[in-house]
Amino acid sequence: MTPGAHASSTERLQIEAEADVVVVRRRARELAIAQGFDAFAVAAITTAASELSRNVWCHGGGGHALLETVSDAGRVGLRLRFIDEGPGIADLELALRGGCSTGRSLGLGLSGSRRLVDAFHIETSPGEGTTIEVLKWARFPH
Amino acid sequence: MLPDTTPVTPDAHTLALRLRFFRIDPGVLARLAALRPFAERTMSDIIDRFYEHLLSQPETRDYLDDPALVERLKRKQAAYFLGMFRGEIDLAYVQGRMKVGAVHAKLAVATQWYVGACTHYLQLIHEHLHRERASDEERRASFEAIERIMHFDVSLAIDAYIARHHESRLRHQEAIRELSTPVIRVHDRVLLLPLVGTIDSARAQRVMESVLVRIGEEHARVLLLDIAGVTVVDTQVADYLLKTTSAVRLLGAKTILTGISPQVARTVVELGVDLTSLYTRNTLSDGLDLALSLLDKQIRTIDQERV
Repeated sequence: MTPGAHASSTERLQIEAEADVVVVRRRARELAIAQGFDAFAVAAITTAASELSRNVWCHGGGGHALLETVSDAGRVGLRLRFIDEGPGIADLELALRGGCSTGRSLGLGLSGSRRLVDAFHIETSPGEGTTIEVLKWARFPH
Repeated sequence: MLPDTTPVTPDAHTLALRLRFFRIDPGVLARLAALRPFAERTMSDIIDRFYEHLLSQPETRDYLDDPALVERLKRKQAAYFLGMFRGEIDLAYVQGRMKVGAVHAKLAVATQWYVGACTHYLQLIHEHLHRERASDEERRASFEAIERIMHFDVSLAIDAYIARHHESRLRHQEAIRELSTPVIRVHDRVLLLPLVGTIDSARAQRVMESVLVRIGEEHARVLLLDIAGVTVVDTQVADYLLKTTSAVRLLGAKTILTGISPQVARTVVELGVDLTSLYTRNTLSDGLDLALSLLDKQIRTIDQERV
């Protein structure tokens, strides 16, 4: 859990198919806009949602996402958690450095997502699945 | 390839589970087998009255406008009816029942008429059972057995309906994919591919293949790839753009990426994706100017004074 952020509502979305990736990122986008995110922050959190939910589908063998609107001392933000029970990430350091791809893609999903958000937390171990939590604040509060 | 999630015909394991859930055990099957003489005796009356009912309802009458068809259906119905009293439910039985559902789904018989008709069928059987010489207990057990197998059959028919619906949805998706990948010839040897919406892996492949074919056919020199309508450029989309560009290059053509919004530009940089190997322009119109200049052509205003 990200310290100092109080969740006001949580939504759970299943990620079982590629189409679910689209559902998750669309919902993240809607929530970000509703929270008053500016266009750059909306693009950032939507893209991170796309990357991380795709990871759940592609590498984690499916799982779910938890989408939460959070607030802390007048700030509002969005916290997204991506949970799978897949094989886990064997070399986390390598995966976070970027350029490591287990599939056929660019291998920038994790490292890129981390740069797109304000807080990034990952828990994984081989065979135990992976939980990734990201937090993005609306930069220019109303 | 499309993800194949079509509901499939049960295998031996799921059939066993389904039978257990419907509480169709060997005792129930034996009872059904014992009812076979009853079924043979009452069959023609039940089926005649069943079709009378269907013909009296405007919703089902429309499907039965041909008397020869009704006769043929009655014969099929007889086989269907006796099938319940075989005392055995195997995978062939399941396939047969699902096929019946599939035929009704294909004819667009709404599930409410299908299930409604089965209820009526059950009622007709009930009436006949009441006239049988048997104890109340016997009658009740017989009716329960018939009720279970009929509901079991209906569940299979509904699965067939769902499978058909699912298939038609996949076909629609396919059709939309086809429709949403138009490669447009905007100028001699210049093609435009406007990408819109979500690019999933199936669509990305389709688009890439069709664009490569068109480049070959048209001897195109430049491909304008406009991503103004793409909602999210994540690493997968970026990867796809890079791969398309490399393949296009192998065919001797150049790719110009246009329609990059400020938000996308920033996000792509944060992601760490390097698109600098591509020609890029902010707008499609700038991209077209670049395309023409690569072909040593240009668009210019005609000098008014010379006219």
